[in-house]
Amino acid sequence: MKNDRGIWRVIVLALFLTFMIVPFLATVLFSISVRWDRTIFPEGLTLEWWDKVTSRSAFETTLTNSFIVSFATMFALALLVTPTAYWAHIRVPRGKPFIEFLTIIPFGIPGVVLALALIRFYSTVPLPLINTPNILVAACMVIALPFMYRPVANALDAIDIHVLTEAAQSLGAGLWQTMWRVIVPNIMPGIVSGCLLVFSTVFAEFTLANLLVGTRFKTFPIYLVEFTRFDGRQASALAVISFVVAWLTSLLIIWIAGRGGRPAEALGAR
Amino acid sequence: MARASKQKSRTWLAWLGLAPFFLFGIAFEIIPVLTLVRSSLTDKGIPTLMHFERALTPMFVESFRNSIQLSAATAFLGVVFGTIVAHAIVTTRNRFVRDAITALADVTTNFGGAPLAFAFIVVLGSTGVVTLLLKMIGVNLYPTTFRIYSIQGLTVAYLYFQLPLMILLVIPSLLGLRREWREAAINLGASPAQYWRRVALPILAPSLLGGFLLLFANAFGAYATAWTLTGPDVNLVTVQIAALVRGEVQLDPALADALAMLSLFVMTLCVAGYQWLGGRARKGAR
Repeated sequence: MKNDRGIWRVIVLALFLTFMIVPFLATVLFSISVRWDRTIFPEGLTLEWWDKVTSRSAFETTLTNSFIVSFATMFALALLVTPTAYWAHIRVPRGKPFIEFLTIIPFGIPGVVLALALIRFYSTVPLPLINTPNILVAACMVIALPFMYRPVANALDAIDIHVLTEAAQSLGAGLWQTMWRVIVPNIMPGIVSGCLLVFSTVFAEFTLANLLVGTRFKTFPIYLVEFTRFDGRQASALAVISFVVAWLTSLLIIWIAGRGGRPAEALGAR
Repeated sequence: MARASKQKSRTWLAWLGLAPFFLFGIAFEIIPVLTLVRSSLTDKGIPTLMHFERALTPMFVESFRNSIQLSAATAFLGVVFGTIVAHAIVTTRNRFVRDAITALADVTTNFGGAPLAFAFIVVLGSTGVVTLLLKMIGVNLYPTTFRIYSIQGLTVAYLYFQLPLMILLVIPSLLGLRREWREAAINLGASPAQYWRRVALPILAPSLLGGFLLLFANAFGAYATAWTLTGPDVNLVTVQIAALVRGEVQLDPALADALAMLSLFVMTLCVAGYQWLGGRARKGAR
């Protein structure tokens, strides 16, 4: 009886692992195969596709563009969300429901609808936004907002910010000093987790980039989608890079969460 | 009296500290969405439902039917299989296996879009490795049984991010099932099946329904995976809206706005339902 149940569990977990890992492994193998569409095993291995795809100038440009957008979004969100969350926790608890409302909205707006809404409104406003990377960063900030807010708010909940704030102020620290020297170091794991979640979300973002800026500011996922129509083997090398960036960022988040103990709850999805 | 008003003005000032955040939210969430609402409901300033009537052409109706079917199918399969896998994860005694698979779910749940679509072409495309393997044992997927470049194919690809999301959502609820409840049920003569049907599932129901709604919304709003895998071949709401944004917004913006409003309506129902059920589940746990 006990054995039976154990077997059931092993089968379920093995099937799940296979489903999750085989697409990734197959893509890796495909990217180093001479040819792999007629036989069960690849017809020889080669690095030709990797060479070809990484030697194009567009490879470097799009990768750089994606890093620029990801880092800009990450820093802007960290600077916007951290002081806001701290201030709401310490001084305006009644503002929290409104903040949370604004951080839930992005879950309810499909990327295509957000792009449409931003284009429709900002094409009527004389600001340097429409068709520029600026609007892309703003849109990415919207969709990544919950990923930044949740870990930071959870980290603030986990420490006694009132005692820390009072202690800092009774020792003569001003508001900025309290925040930068006392609060921020204490919630650092939450901020870093948030930043990494934002980074991996924005780095992989295709819909907004495609609809808001398209070919004017090509990002890495746009480059990848172009290649899937044009040369599968080179596209597979680009897909592997995206997989690896996403996996590395996530593993870093898990590692930070595991090290800090408490901020394990800071992970967005939980 | 003076003190009270001073207190009041200080709270008022404190609210000012939240101003940058609220300004951001108003500028990039509220106002753009309200622009869509207004434009979809008016024509030259006069209130009308004509844009919604125009959105009810057979092509757009079909896109909603396809999107809803795809979202419902992947959400249902995600809930069923996700819960089974999550149950296997929480009941395993091997700590390493538990942590590693939870980490895998964490890593993969945000993974979608172009690389995922491409990986599935490599595995299940017309010359994919699994397709070839199945051919060897006499199962011919192509050209009639299965195509990855179709709604069937999208269902399989979407499960790649739906399953891990459900696993992460349901693990806390599964951990909340107390061992004593099971023991009590078994001692009172219940079979394991009866325990699941009469005790565990009713307790899990809000989380499962909430999970279904969130997965539904997750699939309904997805675009990148569908676009990479099937291009304009599969008629989904998001594919239609994107086509309007890319080409025809200048020509007929109000039509795009009406479609967007309809999809926002579906999404809002799902996310609001999820929030409500989530609140109930949390209260229940206390």
